Amino acid sequence: MEETRQVQGTWDLSTFKFRIEGEGIKNMLKEMKEAKLLGNRCHKCGTVYLPANFYCRKCHIAIHEPAEISDHGEVMSYTIGYADVRGNPLDEPRVSLMVKLDGSDTWIMGAGEDMKPEDVHIGMRVKIKWADQRVGNLQDMESFIPE
Amino acid sequence: MRNVAIVGIGYTPVFVSKRRDVCIPEMISEAVENAFKNSGLTPADIDAVVFGNMHTFEGLNLPHLWSADFIASLGKPVMRIATGGTTGMSAFHAAYYHIASGLHDVVMVVTYEKHSEGDAQVGLMGIITPEIMAMLAAGIDVTGQKGMGAIGGGSAGGISYQATSYLHHSGAGIEHIDAIAAMERRNASKNPYAHLKDPEATAEKIAQTPLISWPIRFGHVCPTTDGATVCILASEEKAAKIADKAAWVWAVANCASDATTGNLIEGIITDPGEQMPATIAAKKAYERAGIQDPRKEIDYVEIYNGFAHQTLMFLERIGMCEVGEAHKLLEKGELEMSGSLPVNASGGVVSTNAIGTSALNRVTECALQLMGQAGEHQVEKEVHKALAHGWGGLMQYVTITILADKPKKL
Repeated sequence: MEETRQVQGTWDLSTFKFRIEGEGIKNMLKEMKEAKLLGNRCHKCGTVYLPANFYCRKCHIAIHEPAEISDHGEVMSYTIGYADVRGNPLDEPRVSLMVKLDGSDTWIMGAGEDMKPEDVHIGMRVKIKWADQRVGNLQDMESFIPE
Repeated sequence: MRNVAIVGIGYTPVFVSKRRDVCIPEMISEAVENAFKNSGLTPADIDAVVFGNMHTFEGLNLPHLWSADFIASLGKPVMRIATGGTTGMSAFHAAYYHIASGLHDVVMVVTYEKHSEGDAQVGLMGIITPEIMAMLAAGIDVTGQKGMGAIGGGSAGGISYQATSYLHHSGAGIEHIDAIAAMERRNASKNPYAHLKDPEATAEKIAQTPLISWPIRFGHVCPTTDGATVCILASEEKAAKIADKAAWVWAVANCASDATTGNLIEGIITDPGEQMPATIAAKKAYERAGIQDPRKEIDYVEIYNGFAHQTLMFLERIGMCEVGEAHKLLEKGELEMSGSLPVNASGGVVSTNAIGTSALNRVTECALQLMGQAGEHQVEKEVHKALAHGWGGLMQYVTITILADKPKKL
């Protein structure tokens, strides 16, 4: 008989510090509370990052120019989930999207709502469904819904 | 730079889900012993050892040192390499550098994975721990059901997005993923060192396996395998004395890109199906090997395909065919062992995945084809040059090795 032994433990999230959290994530979350998206732009190559990056990944220079990003965008890739992370079947298939928001060069991921799995396609237009009660975290954006 | 040859290959006798009869170093020693048998060498002939397996998968830190006396490395230089799925080929490249540089003459590459003693999902999570921690701090929903960064994809994870992108840009359909998976499971049935074997596999049979995350089904996914692979490399001068037949390294190349899927914190998510590093590494390898037209000059290809669509996708990315052409070659039977572009006669990673070995097995399988020693899964056409591909890292790291049946003119 096989036996799995379990050891209880905790992991303090504050152990992990990221410089980008200050300039990128925290600023973005602050704006998300207002149902807005803020990223930044490289003044050299023009690449727009969401969340903002403290340096341009392509040019390797510090970047600080804020860039407002639309909450509308285009589906770049997607998947329809039929099983959870442990392989257990889901009751309903779950739509997950990779979306390039208008004005951004990077993509974000999120759940798709109000769309049938068979209707989802690359190139489909979507917009962010914002939470009614926003608190300044990633769940202020609830999902993507058809435009 | 000196010429380097593969002069010995050793596998564990089987690649299976669970080796309960041996511990990790004992399992590795079986492959070491077989490599000595295959090459006729003894531990005294080995100058240095390069070791590779997935970091964190078995929770065993420093496996190369725990295994020291099981891999004939006592009193010798040893280094461990871990680059994700590509580990086995990165270790092979390191051994190549050891010899091409003139520093050593005979180097042994030792790779293994013993999935049954670990948890691949936990191991993979370990790779992205800092990202996950930062996203948790920003309030991400770990169940993936809502919020920005909800990754989705279930146990197939980000790879599902890659497959969707590949299908969209190539014009292929899920039925082609079913068909290539079936081809490889059939091929695996002819390889004694393969894990999932099904001589009767068909696209229709694969299509009956449940969808995990569109367009990835259970039948498209690699198993978790226990096994070890060892490869002995030698300088040209030594190889002439050691081996009657050898496979010669004509080029090695690798390339990284920015982390793609799941990397919300660093702000770059781009197309996981683009795989620009594969295109760049292959181009560099062709240049180094003096290959003008890979489609005419490369006779055999081993693609690292943890997921079945990757065979087709990477054939396109490395320039072995046009974008949108791989699934048509599959339809015509050209990718079969009897075809004009045979690929993964071994059954590929989708049939056998002891991860540390998987990218090295692409190289050793090319070597066996070149030396005419692949046995039942030897392809019909003559093989003079072969390409081995490795894929891993955070979905964005690619290794390439080009081998030939004779030494390169230096």
